[in-house]
Amino acid sequence: MPPMSFLADLKSLHPLEVKTLLTLSDGERFDVLYLSERLGFKAGQGNQAVSWLQSKGLLVEVERTTELLYERTELGAEYAQTGTPAQRVLDALRSQGPMTMPEIAAASGLPNRDVGSTYGRLSKEGSLSMGEGKRVEIARDGDPDAALTTLLARGDRAPLRGADLDPSELSVLQSVSKKRGAADAMFRVVERDHVLFELTAGGSSVRDELRSAGLTGEEIGQVTAEHLQRGSWKNASFRPYGVNAPTSRLIVGRRNAYCEYLDSVKDKLTSLGFEEFDGPLVETEFWNSDALFMPQFHSARDIHDVYYVKEPDHAREIEEPYLSNVAQTHENGWTTGSRGWGYAFDRDFTRRLILRSQGTVMSAKTLHTAKIPGKYFGVLRCFRYDQVDATHLSDFYQTEGIVLGEEVNLRNLLGLLRMFAEELAGATEVKYVPGYFPFTEPSVEVHIKHPVLGWFELGGSGIFRPEVTRPMGIDVPVLAWGLGIDRMALMHLGLNDLRDLFSGDLESVRLRRRAG
Amino acid sequence: MPKIEVYRDALMRCIGRSMSDDELEELLPCAKAELDEPADAEGIMKIELNDTNRPDLWSTAGLARQLRTYLGGAVSDYPFFSRRGDPRDSADRRVVVDAALESIRPFLVGFAVTGRAIDEPMLKDIIQTQEKLTWNYGRKRKSISMGVYRTDLIEYPVLYRAVNPDTTTFQPLQSEEVMSMREMLSRHPKGVEFGAIVADFPRFPLLTDARGEVLSFPPVINSAHIGAVEVGDENLFIELTGIDMNSLLVTASIVACDLADTGFTILPVTVEYPYDTPYGRSLTAPYYFQERCSVELQEVQSLLGEGLSVGDVQAALERMGIAATVHDTTVTVDPPHVRNDFMHGVDVVEDVMIGRGMESFTPEMPRDFTVGRLSPVEAYSRRLKSVLVGAGFQEMIFNYLGSGRDYIERNYPESEWAEQYTRSIQIANPMSENYEFVRPSTIPSLLASEAVSGNAAYPHNMFEIGKIGLRDDRDVTGTGTFTALGMVSADTDAGFNEMNSYVSAILYYIGLDFELIEAEDGRFIPGRVAAVVPVGGGTEYGRFGELHPRVLEQWGIQMPMSAAEFLLERMMKDGR
Repeated sequence: MPPMSFLADLKSLHPLEVKTLLTLSDGERFDVLYLSERLGFKAGQGNQAVSWLQSKGLLVEVERTTELLYERTELGAEYAQTGTPAQRVLDALRSQGPMTMPEIAAASGLPNRDVGSTYGRLSKEGSLSMGEGKRVEIARDGDPDAALTTLLARGDRAPLRGADLDPSELSVLQSVSKKRGAADAMFRVVERDHVLFELTAGGSSVRDELRSAGLTGEEIGQVTAEHLQRGSWKNASFRPYGVNAPTSRLIVGRRNAYCEYLDSVKDKLTSLGFEEFDGPLVETEFWNSDALFMPQFHSARDIHDVYYVKEPDHAREIEEPYLSNVAQTHENGWTTGSRGWGYAFDRDFTRRLILRSQGTVMSAKTLHTAKIPGKYFGVLRCFRYDQVDATHLSDFYQTEGIVLGEEVNLRNLLGLLRMFAEELAGATEVKYVPGYFPFTEPSVEVHIKHPVLGWFELGGSGIFRPEVTRPMGIDVPVLAWGLGIDRMALMHLGLNDLRDLFSGDLESVRLRRRAG
Repeated sequence: MPKIEVYRDALMRCIGRSMSDDELEELLPCAKAELDEPADAEGIMKIELNDTNRPDLWSTAGLARQLRTYLGGAVSDYPFFSRRGDPRDSADRRVVVDAALESIRPFLVGFAVTGRAIDEPMLKDIIQTQEKLTWNYGRKRKSISMGVYRTDLIEYPVLYRAVNPDTTTFQPLQSEEVMSMREMLSRHPKGVEFGAIVADFPRFPLLTDARGEVLSFPPVINSAHIGAVEVGDENLFIELTGIDMNSLLVTASIVACDLADTGFTILPVTVEYPYDTPYGRSLTAPYYFQERCSVELQEVQSLLGEGLSVGDVQAALERMGIAATVHDTTVTVDPPHVRNDFMHGVDVVEDVMIGRGMESFTPEMPRDFTVGRLSPVEAYSRRLKSVLVGAGFQEMIFNYLGSGRDYIERNYPESEWAEQYTRSIQIANPMSENYEFVRPSTIPSLLASEAVSGNAAYPHNMFEIGKIGLRDDRDVTGTGTFTALGMVSADTDAGFNEMNSYVSAILYYIGLDFELIEAEDGRFIPGRVAAVVPVGGGTEYGRFGELHPRVLEQWGIQMPMSAAEFLLERMMKDGR
């Protein structure tokens, strides 16, 4: 890495780095411990400063040696407190005279095993001998572990460096140390690298730049309340920050991007004079389909097309006069001018509870309380008997609505569709084709050319059949429409799998935003 | 919606002129059709038909008939139709019906064709028409099934009988062996597919000729002999059985007109019933049964928003292949032989619309002024959401169907499962147990989310405002849909106290006065769950607390969590 030579780069130096650089002379070799001693760095700060400076090419490693350290174990700490086994055996014999091994164990508090091995060692060294009645007695008094006691005590402060010890100390230490699994030894042997660093040429020049810029590493970073209360900022300078330094991530509260898209659709519709309706997830066959003049034998009403509720399975009743009006309309057209479907309407089946399968339900249900003229819409969750995959969901939103008026007609319907196409979808071209829905006649589909998605079907619409409106007491024409907005929602969110709209993955939801 | 395959050449031949795919696509909307896939190497293209009430369009000849007249071609004449009191001569071609069929599969209509040898594309088209008509229009053969046979092997009269399924045997098509009709239900693929339509009757329908040779077992399978039509056959007998006479007659008319358009001569067949049918005890098909349909000119004008003249209306209908007469201001149409979708005057209006072409109508905005507004619960939700976002919560949105395990068992101690299941709305015919319940609470959705979000940076503060469904006897449906606010917090210091702070802040800003009372709820640590109630008591707005580690363990969550849920409809009642 080339040496830094611009003041701007000095701003990227942390105060620890600044202080480190300023304290070093050219060619001076140092280790991390030296920084702690010179600069009063706390544990870890020296290492941080060195590693940052090294990665910037301002310091270089010049020597690395491996040294052995002897770290006192818990057992060692215990012996430092209570004495070594040899000391404790001798103490016991001194105070109570010759004893058998079990008696020594009891008196010294050592396990039999340790008493046995200690006797073995001390009798070999000539300190103990076996007397009458298998009693152990002192043969030659003295402290056999004097050197070890000193080492145990020194080990309390910091690990002992092999290089600091004389050969006799080292040999004592090695006899009570182990490398691994040192639970039964007094010291653990640890290998540690000792590294020496020195300034690079770049480091020297950055240090000189720091000096000439008058930076000390003591500049104020975070302004504190204390600075303000005491006015201490007045005589200090402020550390300039690197404006491009990475920032930390903020976890903020946020709306869900899909919900916001749905809101934008609702806002657009209300701005166009539509009033929102809402309704229950559980519906009767009556409102879901019969009121929409779908015959009870219609293939879209099979058990494999709607979800039936297990319990309760039927509504207690259907509101009159709507039930009778609809039943007669199915059977013979009632007074709607229709010939009807010509079958016996099943008044039990019509009470069957299902999960709402189409948003048009609420359009039909709104009719008998609707104002004339009136415009209504709903963004409604509907349920579909489909395998869940990238293009099918068990439940999803449908956007539906109606327009009631004495004089509304097909041309108004086309006008409305064009307005949706332009206002909601940003369409550049609009095409109408005849469509088919059981509850509208005439029926029209609107296809649009979207600037990103190209041509697709935006929605279906039509004028409600009199068989739908008259039973609800409505005698004016009713324009009904439904829009497919999921494809646009996916596009707006930069997604291509419908399941992602309802994702539970917090991270991806947090990161999501409008793509267009 | 049916999708059909047609030979491009055959379609163009039937239309009477050839055209590019672009031209065809321009033309297809008059039949509510779309080009799904252009012609492949074999010259076969796929076309989707959107009108489920127009089965006459589901074949090459039928689709071509509509396109041809729309382009100005003459409406074909079909002289072979019988009418009420005016049957065509059927010579010795008779079918005799057994009285026992009245309660099984009461109606049969048939006709025969002759005059040309059937070729490969034609045979394919007949089979496809049969499948589309009986599957889509005939509700998977329940209300209409159809059989085609080699007339040369038949001795009239044909007998439509009800027979003992265990003792009656024959060799069905697509099988090497003779078996009983009962055996066919389990051993023949068509028996497995369609057997259920007749399986519960003590006797099954059977068609034989005068000698007793089997034609078929309607609505299941033809015989391997008389019922095996091949390329080169010239004389065919076609019958349809079912439960709705009008559907049968219109379907028979569609097939007959298609074959007539292809160059066959149609030979009427008379069916003799021992019981009444809507058209008498002797019925000669093809039969024109449709009733006239009328609409006032004024209704056409007001629905379409155009001041059309009588001549305009007649010309538009003629393009659709519909003859219309006018008396004063009433337009009366005789539906084409192949259509039975004129139920109301508005059905005529639609054909006028299509006949004139969509491009002839200038879009215009409704003139009425209306006031737009959000529903009260949506407006209230938005107020809540802005407070929640300010409190640092991420909005989530979830699906409403899930499993009993996720919605109940993972959240409550086993001793409370039964009670919780009783409160929940279960689907009787779920697609899988993963989508068997309407969610009774938003909290399981939020926990499921937390369970897959362990890698996201903490804290996790999430909320959702969405619907939940519960059993509710106060409603006539015995169920209720409620708008719920669910909140969860997952973090090292999440707990009762933290959620209490959030709840207090949110309810303060939304303007709801409340009191807290200790609650019992198996989802939370005992003593760390509160019900939020109106000041002075009353139905709780909701509750919150510190989730029990047992619940978190069930979800595999390793971070402390608190949760809250409120019902907006209750809050709105008392809020400001």
